Amino acid sequence: MAVQPDVEKKGFLRSVATAADDVFTRITAGIDAGEFRRMLRGEPPGRPNPRLKPHSEAFLLHIKPTYYHESVTRFTHTFRLGLLSTYLFFFETITGMFLMIWYAPSPDRAYSDMIYLLSNVPYGQFMRDLHRLGAEMMVAIVTLHMVRTYLTGSYKAPRQFTWFTGVVLLVVTLFLSFSGYLLPWDQLAFWAVTIGTSMAEAVPPAIVGETVNLLARGAPDIGANGLLRFYLLHVLFLPLVLFLFFFVHYYKVVHFGISLPAHEEEVGQDTANKVPADRRVYFLPDVLLDETMFLIALHGHLCGDFGLLLCGAARIHRQPTGNTATHGRTVVLLLAAGHAQNRRQDHCRRNLPGVLLVLLIGIPYLDPNPSRRAKDRRVAIISGVVAGAVMIVLSWMGTPQYAAQAAPAVEVVQELMPEEGAGLVREVGYDEIPVGVYDTRDDLAAMYPEEEYHGLHEILVEFEDSIRMWQRQDPDFNEAYGVLTVTQDQPQLRRLDWQINWLDANGEANTFERHFFLHQDSMYWEEYGLKDFSFLRPTEGEE
Amino acid sequence: MQKPWYSIFYVRSPIVKIGLGILFVLLSLLIVAFQGFIEEPRMQAQTASWDGRSIEIGAELFANNCASCHGPDGKGLPNVAPALHSRYFFTQRLADVGWSGSLGQYVELTLHAGRPSKTDTQWVNIMPTWGNEFGGPLRADQISHLVAYVLNWEEDAVAQTPEEDPWQFFQDALSKQLPYSPDEPGYDQKVAQAIAAAEAAGAVGYTIGGVEAQAPAEGAAAPSGPRDPETLFTSMGCVGCHNLNEPQTADNRGPVGPNMGNLAENAANRVAGEDAQTYVHNSIVNPSAYVVEGYMDGIMPQNFSEQMSEEEINGLVDWLLSR
Repeated sequence: MAVQPDVEKKGFLRSVATAADDVFTRITAGIDAGEFRRMLRGEPPGRPNPRLKPHSEAFLLHIKPTYYHESVTRFTHTFRLGLLSTYLFFFETITGMFLMIWYAPSPDRAYSDMIYLLSNVPYGQFMRDLHRLGAEMMVAIVTLHMVRTYLTGSYKAPRQFTWFTGVVLLVVTLFLSFSGYLLPWDQLAFWAVTIGTSMAEAVPPAIVGETVNLLARGAPDIGANGLLRFYLLHVLFLPLVLFLFFFVHYYKVVHFGISLPAHEEEVGQDTANKVPADRRVYFLPDVLLDETMFLIALHGHLCGDFGLLLCGAARIHRQPTGNTATHGRTVVLLLAAGHAQNRRQDHCRRNLPGVLLVLLIGIPYLDPNPSRRAKDRRVAIISGVVAGAVMIVLSWMGTPQYAAQAAPAVEVVQELMPEEGAGLVREVGYDEIPVGVYDTRDDLAAMYPEEEYHGLHEILVEFEDSIRMWQRQDPDFNEAYGVLTVTQDQPQLRRLDWQINWLDANGEANTFERHFFLHQDSMYWEEYGLKDFSFLRPTEGEE
Repeated sequence: MQKPWYSIFYVRSPIVKIGLGILFVLLSLLIVAFQGFIEEPRMQAQTASWDGRSIEIGAELFANNCASCHGPDGKGLPNVAPALHSRYFFTQRLADVGWSGSLGQYVELTLHAGRPSKTDTQWVNIMPTWGNEFGGPLRADQISHLVAYVLNWEEDAVAQTPEEDPWQFFQDALSKQLPYSPDEPGYDQKVAQAIAAAEAAGAVGYTIGGVEAQAPAEGAAAPSGPRDPETLFTSMGCVGCHNLNEPQTADNRGPVGPNMGNLAENAANRVAGEDAQTYVHNSIVNPSAYVVEGYMDGIMPQNFSEQMSEEEINGLVDWLLSR
């Protein structure tokens, strides 16, 4: 198009407007400015629909259907969980890349790199919290997505294969989450991998389990090789598998269409792809706008929640000793841990995860019921709910609360000041725990009134109550009293000596002693606790 | 179809939807900007927190591994191990050994490698190698926590008067200068200690604080006669690991070496065919011959037979059993 004749023919302004509209149409892959304006005003498309063009011109849109059935665009039908899972995958990829900049997968560096990220990198803690909590959210969302699909019977013919790819995606998500736990090389990592790989070891026959275990760990014991392998799984292999299966999954979703609400079609029919003209909701602009706004709102929510309100926790450097019972665990590990604790009692259950997986994949083929309506599917829904409840109970059995109980004296101290993690005493902190001797035989609550000694009062009351509670529960724990001795060990460092004395059932005197150190500057916080902004207050003595 | 109750939340107008979207984007940006605003104090607090935690972990490691020789408060044990919680250590030690790096690096090196070549010194125990890269039990990060803990004594240590400073002068690295001023309490005492160390090392012409060390007089007889068992128990360092006042029972065990409050009865029953006398004697000259269950072999020095005469060892055995 020659410029000069064009200007001579149409005049300058009109030529510029035409050229601008042309550029606009190229950017939007086929929507001109006038059509875009009509979209914004909510006007219907003309015929033939000019808003279908981007679906054939733009790469990213060619995988999206051009229109949906009105019934499936309702939020309460799908809760947009699939979209959300996809979004979280990309979210995790991007935040993960930020973390990769500061991380080297070597036992010498991994933990200190994480500490460096938290303490010396602007937005480092923010990125780590987003990545960590986003990952847990992804596990939850993907699971909910599966639950939704199960409850609406959407796995039934012809969508069996879609369900299968979905199960693969769920498993990959779980493995992604699991492999991520090892990378900080902290205490949680150690137990996560110990539990996880020992589950892998249980896969029959023995030669397979042992080989899988050896390949994953890279050595009989988890070490530098294992860390590198889990890192590569986490950042390369698993995302690749997920990416591939995501496209297969999504292709099948588009291919068969999203299943309609069961009551809108006859039993045994699948009319998802036969959308009457008057029930069509076009992707452009309606669905695109809804999806984008939904994700923007969610993203703002994530930034707000995880940036301002919640925080993840960093644990102590990996120690190959310690007691599993005392370690907190996060979502994905709970089931594994509960399973591991059970397994000690019952060897028949050692292959439970494998059996569950096969069952899950087999559901569409095992369920002979053609109806997707809830009232026809009582058995399926009830057994699904029961299975879910069993999983929740098993997971709950993996929590520290259910762990084997230690002696009362150990439990008392463990509750106030755990070997690992925060606990009341560390949360109260150095400044509120003055040097002194606190004996529960005295009336501590009155000696250290709440108004004057908030934190200390809370600790001492908890100490007394906890000893009293165990005395009532345990016949081997009588006439017990505790003594907390706080001494100044170094400048800014106090030593807390816990001593608990009691008489056992035979009247013999026993003593339990444990000491911990507490530094003035160290901050401890609960996992998923509210964010602590106390560092914004000027400290004493500062002008 | 009846509209559900939550239909009031439905937004129909595309313009309103876009407006809400932009609002949320701005909100997210605001949150991120707020984060940026508080990042500086957050990073400072985190740095201080991790340094603090490092000291806590170091304290625990020190209590478990180091306190038995260097003292629970780091002030050392005479002839067993030097003080770390000491003004001299923080102000003068590096100059006296000719170390050009920082004190932290010096402590780190000593922890990692130990002092394996120092076999003939005034200290009974050799500083063991702690770093696992050289065969010791601790990882590099644990050693860095220990360094943080040791250095945390600084504030307290540099405020010590010469009288309070527990430093025991080395005979193989004589102090070139005293880190104290003459008007502080205990100055003369420290000068005397430094001179005594130099005299014990046989240094000629060594002067410190205006006092010159005296070379041992020609032909002066070495102190004659066996040394007193009670002195030996301290100077040989036994006191660092063995408690004389506590009995050794199943629920009251010495942390590093067995308690000796009831040595007489325990010693007679340890090894079949050895009476208490023989058992204690053998345990001193050859500690590895029998190690009480639950204790580690190789902690107790193996060279007592070279450091004490046979007569002195017998005296020590009698004294231990008669207490």
